[in-house]
Amino acid sequence: MSDSATQEPSHAADGHGHGHAHGDHGEAQASFRQVTDDIVGVAFNPTPKWWYPAFGLALIMLGCLVVALVHLFKTGIGVWGNNNIVGWAWDITNFVFWIGIGHAGTLISAVLYLFRQDWRTSINRSAEAMTIFAVAAAGIFPIIHTGRPWFAWWLIPHPNDMGMWPQFRSPLMWDVFAISTYATTSILFWYMGMVPDLATLRDRSKDKVRQIVYGLLSLGWRGSARQWHRYERAYLILAALSTPLVLSVHSVVSFDFATSQNPGWHTTILPPYFVAGAIFSGFAMVATLLIPARSLFKLQHIIKDDHIEAMCKIMLATGTMVGGAYAIELFIAWYSGNLWEWFTFKNRILGPYAWAYFIMVSCNLLVPQFFWSKRVRKNMYAVVALCLLINVGMWFERFVIIVSSLARQAMPGMWGYFSPTRWDALTLIGSFGLFFTLFLLFLRFLPIVAIAEVKAVSPAAHAGKDH
Amino acid sequence: MSATKSLHPDEKLKANKLGSRLFAIGGAAGALLLALSVVLGGAIDQGFAWQRFFYAYLVAWGFVCSIAVGSLFFILSHHLVRGKWGIVLRRVAEFITGSLPLLFLLGLGFIIPVLAGYKHLYYWSEPGLHDASHPLYHHMHNKLGWFDPFFFAGRYVLYFAIYIGLARWFAGKSKAADDLDEAGAAALAEKMRVWSGIATLVFSITTVFFAFDLFMSLSPTWFSTIYSVNWFAGAMLATYCTLALFTRAIQRSGRITHSVTVEHYHDIGKYMFGWTFFWIYTAFSQFMLQWYGNMPEETVFYNYRMFSQWEWVSWALLFGHWAFPYLALVTRWTKRILPLLMFFAVWQLVFHYVDLFWNVMPNQQWLVEGKLVLGPLQGDPALHKVHFHPVDVTLLFAMIALFLAGVGRSMKGNLLPVKDPKLGESLAFENY
Amino acid sequence: MDTHDHSHDHDDERPVPPPGGGDHDHGDDTAAAGADDELHGLLAEFETPGALIAAARKVKNAGYTDFDCYSPFPVHGIDDAMGIKRTRLPLVVFAGGIAGLIGGAFLQWWMNAYNWPWNIGGKPSWSIPANVPITYETTILLSVLTTFFGMWAANKLPQVWHPFFRLDRFARVTDDGLFLGIDASDRRFELEQTRQLLVAAGATHVEACYVDARPEARQVPKPIFAVMIALGMLALIPLVQIYKARATRSSQPHWHIFSDMDFQPKVKSDQPFPDFADGRGNRGHLAGTVARGQLAADDLFDRGLDHGAWTTSLPPQITVDDAALDRGQERYNIYCAPCHGYDGAGHGIVPERVKRIGGVWEARNLVAPDSVAIAMPNGQLFNTVSNGFNTMMGYAAQVPVADRWKIVLYVRALQRAQNATRDELPPGATVR
Repeated sequence: MSDSATQEPSHAADGHGHGHAHGDHGEAQASFRQVTDDIVGVAFNPTPKWWYPAFGLALIMLGCLVVALVHLFKTGIGVWGNNNIVGWAWDITNFVFWIGIGHAGTLISAVLYLFRQDWRTSINRSAEAMTIFAVAAAGIFPIIHTGRPWFAWWLIPHPNDMGMWPQFRSPLMWDVFAISTYATTSILFWYMGMVPDLATLRDRSKDKVRQIVYGLLSLGWRGSARQWHRYERAYLILAALSTPLVLSVHSVVSFDFATSQNPGWHTTILPPYFVAGAIFSGFAMVATLLIPARSLFKLQHIIKDDHIEAMCKIMLATGTMVGGAYAIELFIAWYSGNLWEWFTFKNRILGPYAWAYFIMVSCNLLVPQFFWSKRVRKNMYAVVALCLLINVGMWFERFVIIVSSLARQAMPGMWGYFSPTRWDALTLIGSFGLFFTLFLLFLRFLPIVAIAEVKAVSPAAHAGKDH
Repeated sequence: MSATKSLHPDEKLKANKLGSRLFAIGGAAGALLLALSVVLGGAIDQGFAWQRFFYAYLVAWGFVCSIAVGSLFFILSHHLVRGKWGIVLRRVAEFITGSLPLLFLLGLGFIIPVLAGYKHLYYWSEPGLHDASHPLYHHMHNKLGWFDPFFFAGRYVLYFAIYIGLARWFAGKSKAADDLDEAGAAALAEKMRVWSGIATLVFSITTVFFAFDLFMSLSPTWFSTIYSVNWFAGAMLATYCTLALFTRAIQRSGRITHSVTVEHYHDIGKYMFGWTFFWIYTAFSQFMLQWYGNMPEETVFYNYRMFSQWEWVSWALLFGHWAFPYLALVTRWTKRILPLLMFFAVWQLVFHYVDLFWNVMPNQQWLVEGKLVLGPLQGDPALHKVHFHPVDVTLLFAMIALFLAGVGRSMKGNLLPVKDPKLGESLAFENY
Repeated sequence: MDTHDHSHDHDDERPVPPPGGGDHDHGDDTAAAGADDELHGLLAEFETPGALIAAARKVKNAGYTDFDCYSPFPVHGIDDAMGIKRTRLPLVVFAGGIAGLIGGAFLQWWMNAYNWPWNIGGKPSWSIPANVPITYETTILLSVLTTFFGMWAANKLPQVWHPFFRLDRFARVTDDGLFLGIDASDRRFELEQTRQLLVAAGATHVEACYVDARPEARQVPKPIFAVMIALGMLALIPLVQIYKARATRSSQPHWHIFSDMDFQPKVKSDQPFPDFADGRGNRGHLAGTVARGQLAADDLFDRGLDHGAWTTSLPPQITVDDAALDRGQERYNIYCAPCHGYDGAGHGIVPERVKRIGGVWEARNLVAPDSVAIAMPNGQLFNTVSNGFNTMMGYAAQVPVADRWKIVLYVRALQRAQNATRDELPPGATVR
């Protein structure tokens, strides 16, 4: 499964730098050069034709976001379908959805690095970029879903005349710290990984503007081995720090629900269940983006079929974990003997949002089961279609958790129904617009594959070594 | 990164008499200690005959069972992700899972009394609960069907049927591969990999209910959806510690000394670190959420472990099972200096026992001034005391001895999967 | 900033080295160096990572220290060959993490438990379980920041220029080029000898690198300074604005961005509302209705009237017991003591203060033997508490009916206490 093939045992240990096994004498350099050419080409070749309409569409969707937010701020939360009993609906669903998507990037970057899965090097740069853009899209929602979002700066502790401090014991404050830490760490990790590749772009730049911009951004990187040593150590440390971080971020998001007393929300398995779901949806988004991207940029020899297959298996595993969590919750809801808990779960399956529950279970539990089949895993159209369904399913999972639980609370006087308005829809579309705009810009101007890392795990990186 | 090595020509690969010796000594010592425990346990007068004995039995049995179950997962996960580094350890893990049939029989030591009507281990077997006038009827009546002793025993048999079935299939195929040629071994390895997916799924479902049924139900009015995940984390931690200690012990006998290197121990150390983290993550999730929600039917579990003498055990667990080993295992050196690693393996195993003790023991019913306190976790926690009793120690060592006997019994043939296609990479494995 | 100093390319007319790769011509570049050019070092190129590692080892063994290897990716094994010592960055990160841990915990403790403690759901102000998540995040955040900035600082980056960038060949260091550069500042450096060492080590190309020694060439160009100063000034502007806003006053009205929030279309209490005939927002009582809890039909309880006359006893709703007296005392101390004093003698802080500033205010003495309040029936006392008398306001709006009766009860207790005879004293009481 690892991309870097087993070293040919025929390497003669001849004690000199010049080994004669194949992969030496310019072949190694040619293979490095090929990687550089391919990825730098994406950034430096003329913009591909498809990029313009895609970017145009993304900008239109981003425009929807601007319009939706301006209208929201001017008029108030009432423009959404949220009502008195269903106080959280699409806003928080979108928030959790986007944060979840971001998790795959960190997993690919950090966790797969710790597990020495070399195949990650073809996808980690794009996945990390996707994380940052997803977190950016997510971060909008906690701020705008408040009635007076212009007071959001009070979430940050600062000295003031009233001596007032934030309430740190609230999960909503934990969110502030977790998501800022996550955004900061993701950006720093992504940027740090990009510096050697930005140096590559700098050195291949033909015009002054590019030289200056990439030159500044690459900090004067020159590939010094002494610098690589500290760099690699820092990379490992950041990977080791990102792993508990990514676990904690979606756990903290799950605490928003689990610390409450609402049946269906207050359950101890929510943190790992949310993390598994986040990884699940994140990988689906990575696949959805990279399968077309690799075709359009002709990078199939770098982002290989094997890598896509590995992602499918991870989706199968995490999707099944999510399904398992559904089952455990259902069982304990019955086992607990708590009438309201049991009602909440029966209500999810049979109540007014049964249709949403059905979508959720089919997309999250049934759809990934198709990935058992190698034929399906190898068919890129099938994979993209299934991944789109998975993302739909994961959106609905958050919708079901939030809205169906709120819509039927303890007394009939606390029952309601939520219907979205066009402003809910525009805001969701707009968040996709923000995400795609940023991602398309990334595709156009930045190194979309980790050039240095791909080279480091390629067989040519060991050329000439005597073993 | 993916270099290969072949087996050292002088390597001693065969278990030879090691297994049978372990079986003999473990079996004899275990039987003796078990008999001693029965005598000691029967003499304890806590108000309920044999309650203390059965609780100690459950903790000790759960301790060794968690290691056997965890080893099974070790094997399945390695096949599933085509892990390379751990292949040199896989056969040892397979031997450990060979103890599962014996553990099944030992478990009958408390299952059969429950079937026969013993009601002081699992409170849900209290016949009075079926009476609508019983104070806890309201909490319990919906699940009395689930807790029908025969259904419960049936599930127990099913869990072990699955565990033993999986263990035998995977260990069997792995062993059979030793006698085949390269192509045959590769085919078997591939077969194991293909089936490891569904096997892991079946294992997971089984383990969820295993922990719910045998441990969570000790306090039948309490519940936590993450309970099994936490139990599993502790089990995996114990498994890696055991693998380290066991492999080192085998190496002390002069076998497989060249094959398992400091690089492998380093990785075991990393997994010990990782599972310690996962254990505290699940434990904290459970604790913090139930503390924060402040709902009496959930907080009762923690009230009992925070506002009584058990508070000291809780603090000990926090610092002993997480904080101290976590900090210690962060550095490279703890994982590469083998005496240090072995120290922490033992340390974590001790605290795994403390964790199980902490989970199980407070659920005992008890008498306060001669009056029965109804059901587990009822009454004023401050009046509840932590008892350590010699029977805890004798039962623990009895179980460990019998567990080792079970392992020894299956410890035949090669100590490494000699024909595994990835063995070469595992032997050449080098850490960062 | 231009990282490739092309402007000096043609200054000294050195021949451009031929493209490398398979060409063992050890390029000729020892043509006459310019008078103001200083030798920085030698740069050698290699074909494979293995060759680079071997060469590095040779150079190190030859005693050189001021040298470095350059590659487009980290070459595994080169650290050992060059003798690079393990970086101490992990220790620094650990310190950063501890700082984050302590900082995060302290922040929450100081702000929520010390400086302004809030009661949130009855949980302790210093709630460790609730404070863990943020502490965890700050630990990681500080560790990450330390790692990131520490690494760049230790690497002395950004350093946008390096002498080797003058060599065109060096542009391939981020592409496919593998180089080893020895600085002329090294003690063992000697142009010819070092060059031969590099050739012997397997370099496909060796080139000397010269830098412009003139001080003018080393200065940061003036426009860069100008830009930095301009940016610095611009960055100060927001701070100045903030300071100005905080330090000055303004007579301008607030900016109303959301006029429908600042001027909400709703009617507040006691505001005019033109759509009603009487022009008032308040609608007052609806004829023929009484609000819940305000019927007050019980003459005795609600008004102290027993068939039209002030009652001399207490209504049946009031039981005379310790609890009632305690409550009466508590309420009296809150509402009555400011004027009437704690002992009922009329020397509360309000009249005392009025007297001190030269005014006249008498609060009635409730306990003097000749006080009107002694003879007053309970019902009338109740009426005074409820509706006031002369300059005393009525407390009906603040004190519920039952509490008012308990105040009456307490006043009676005060009166009895202040007018007791010797034989009414409880046994053991001393008289001073």
